[in-house]
Amino acid sequence: MNSAAIATQGLTRRFGALTAVEDVDLRVAPGQFFGFLGPNGAGKSTTIKMLTGLLAPTAGRIEILGLDLAANSIEVKRQIGVVPEGMALFGRLTGAEYLNFVGRMYGLDRETSAKRAAELLDFMQLADQPKKLVTDYSHGMQKKLALAAAVIHGPKILFLDEPFEGVDAIASGTLKAMLQSMISRGATIFLTSHVLEIVERLCSHLAIIHRGRLVAQGSLEELRAGVEAQAAAALPSDGGQAAAVAAPGEKLTLEEIFLRTVGGARPADQELSWLS
Amino acid sequence: MAELTFAPGVREQLAAIARVRWQLFVNSLRTLRGRLELVSHIFITLGFAAGGIGGLVASSAGAYYVISSGKAEWLAVILWPIFLFWQLFPVVATAFTENFDTSNLLRFPLSYSSFALIRIIYGSLEPATMLSSLWLLGVAVGVAMASPPLFPWAALALLLFAAVNILLARMIFSWVERWLAQRRTREILGVLFLFFIISFQLIGPLMSRYGRSAHPDLRQFAERILPVQRLLPPGTAASAIASAAQGDYAIAAGTLGILGIYCAAIFWFLHLRLRAQFHGENLSEAPALAETSGERGIVSVGWSLPGIPGSVAAIFEKEIRYLSRSGPMLFTLIMPVFILFIFRLTPSTSHRGSGSFLGGSSDMAFPIGAAYALLILTNMVYNNFGPEGAGVQIYFTAPVPIRSVMLAKNLAHSTILALEMVLVWIGASLIYKPPALATTLATIAGILFALPVNLTVGNLLSISSPKKIDYGTFGRQRASNTTVFASFGVQIVVVGLAAITLMAARSFDRIWLATAVFLVFAAVAWVVYAVVLKGIDHMAFGHREELIAELTRAS
Repeated sequence: MNSAAIATQGLTRRFGALTAVEDVDLRVAPGQFFGFLGPNGAGKSTTIKMLTGLLAPTAGRIEILGLDLAANSIEVKRQIGVVPEGMALFGRLTGAEYLNFVGRMYGLDRETSAKRAAELLDFMQLADQPKKLVTDYSHGMQKKLALAAAVIHGPKILFLDEPFEGVDAIASGTLKAMLQSMISRGATIFLTSHVLEIVERLCSHLAIIHRGRLVAQGSLEELRAGVEAQAAAALPSDGGQAAAVAAPGEKLTLEEIFLRTVGGARPADQELSWLS
Repeated sequence: MAELTFAPGVREQLAAIARVRWQLFVNSLRTLRGRLELVSHIFITLGFAAGGIGGLVASSAGAYYVISSGKAEWLAVILWPIFLFWQLFPVVATAFTENFDTSNLLRFPLSYSSFALIRIIYGSLEPATMLSSLWLLGVAVGVAMASPPLFPWAALALLLFAAVNILLARMIFSWVERWLAQRRTREILGVLFLFFIISFQLIGPLMSRYGRSAHPDLRQFAERILPVQRLLPPGTAASAIASAAQGDYAIAAGTLGILGIYCAAIFWFLHLRLRAQFHGENLSEAPALAETSGERGIVSVGWSLPGIPGSVAAIFEKEIRYLSRSGPMLFTLIMPVFILFIFRLTPSTSHRGSGSFLGGSSDMAFPIGAAYALLILTNMVYNNFGPEGAGVQIYFTAPVPIRSVMLAKNLAHSTILALEMVLVWIGASLIYKPPALATTLATIAGILFALPVNLTVGNLLSISSPKKIDYGTFGRQRASNTTVFASFGVQIVVVGLAAITLMAARSFDRIWLATAVFLVFAAVAWVVYAVVLKGIDHMAFGHREELIAELTRAS
């Protein structure tokens, strides 16, 4: 597992009788923009929580930058940034106070922390109302602040759980600009998102988790080739009933790859006829 | 008020809310923590029930006595303590008070009348209302036993009195919540409190002047304030019953009318708040803060504490900033001084006193105030992750051991306690007399013992039994039942031990003995604190899932 930025082996998490994540072997190379996809309840957030130390695995092993997470949690945490589910903000601080706080939690000295906080607020266009409490920020502003907090110490790996959820186009543009600039400087980004268009545009590599199991992993092209090969193999046996994989000359979109991988068709008899 | 018409379907809505609360309760029993909560709740309820039944018997006997001896007017002596308890307990003992957050209900097609009714009914489901209602029932039983024909009048008067109390408690809560929500009104309240403190200096001479007169007892005190108290709800209710007892039914009806006017007036003030809330009032300080100028692009550096690592100083700073922005928490922190003031105004039943509670033992004012300050602080100490909400995750993703987080929080809470003790010392000096040096030292030594005990248990409970709380809203700082129950046990042991030591030392006239004993206890307690703190990371990581789940879940 040595040369990977993130590597897991047999990662499993059970909640009583429910197995949320089962035997997941992930491998993310340094510098990759990695998208981790799956339907609701597939185990994405559980996996990201285990990778960031918020949840203990029931079984398996996690290595971050070649370090075993269980044995070196403090050293690993120093090198990663996290935007967890719920964003981990403190509502009754101002944005600047919060960034200052996080910077110092990650070991920055007071001056560096304050300087970076000011730069980040400016970059994220949050510097206009310096006395506004975080609780009074809009959802998009909170997302930007959470991302700013996750990068204030200059992490080598960034974990983002649904960073684009509920974010408008302007805020989303700011977030994307920051993430791309990090990638260009050699950082690794691991993100989960339901916004497949953004994932398709940003991520070089992907993994799809379904019902707790990893069902696909690779570059977008590798995933596309896999789906097409599967469909082609299925054609002779279904008597020609299956639709063509993609129109001639067109590539499968990530959404199509995703739906074909996890299966997403809704039963046709569900009509909710009482809806006006 | 014109909006107060019940829309169709109100009953269904009320039933739905009751049902959802029941389902929430049943679902909470699925976890071990939920079951522990229930057990703790049962024990707490049993404790309150004992107080309620004891009070019921006492108030019943008291009412029977005053009615059968033809002194119905003296019912006021029973009704006043009930009134004061009803209004003060929820404010003084916030650990037992929890406001039902109805803001989520506004998205439903709920009429104003349903909204107001829900606020009043659910807001009243708290110990003070339950206990006081039981005690009023006792008064009614006592009156009925002494004079059955008087019962209908007494029942009506007591019902109106109960309505006044329920509405008044809700009104006080909602207005205090309003005033504490914004900086300007908080500052006005702060100035008023300052005047209040200064006015303490006038109380001493006044009390001693009255205390020197011929009959410094309860009867004389009551006679002096009789004309004034008759105009207030407890006196009015007692007067209505007394008039009916004397056969002056017209006067009795008129007095009941006054109680009705009280009800209407208080409801009107409550209605002002409820209407604002119903129309989606936003008490956020955002607009005001947006107007205040702040220099763009300049971020001031964080606090530095000599000899303290940066991460610990950062958490310390965050804790203090959080508290300084929480009007409700600041309000509860002035309670220890307020309680001394209440003691000063409460007449003593002892003949050797100077006419007020603690009058004969005024040197105990500082220890009592300090103990109460510690008790108030347990709200924070025993649930120190409660106000963080989803922010708690940062402590598990940042490269900082949880013991450093706990240490920072404990430092912040200890600093607040130290400031509180200074405030209490000044308050005790102004209200009573400056505490003797020996008493001051014994109290400080006692706190040095009680503090690490509470911090140790508080750290453990904060991890094992967290509860999301809202520092910004008055009456939503209540910890979990398990925590409240455990805190009770710790306080009984610690305060009991301290009181016995202090009393023994006083009886030997050697207060320094108590200081010495407390210092020995303190040394042991700090060692235990250090040992537990050292192992807290293991426990925190063992409980991180429940801790994060509890604090990040939607309320």
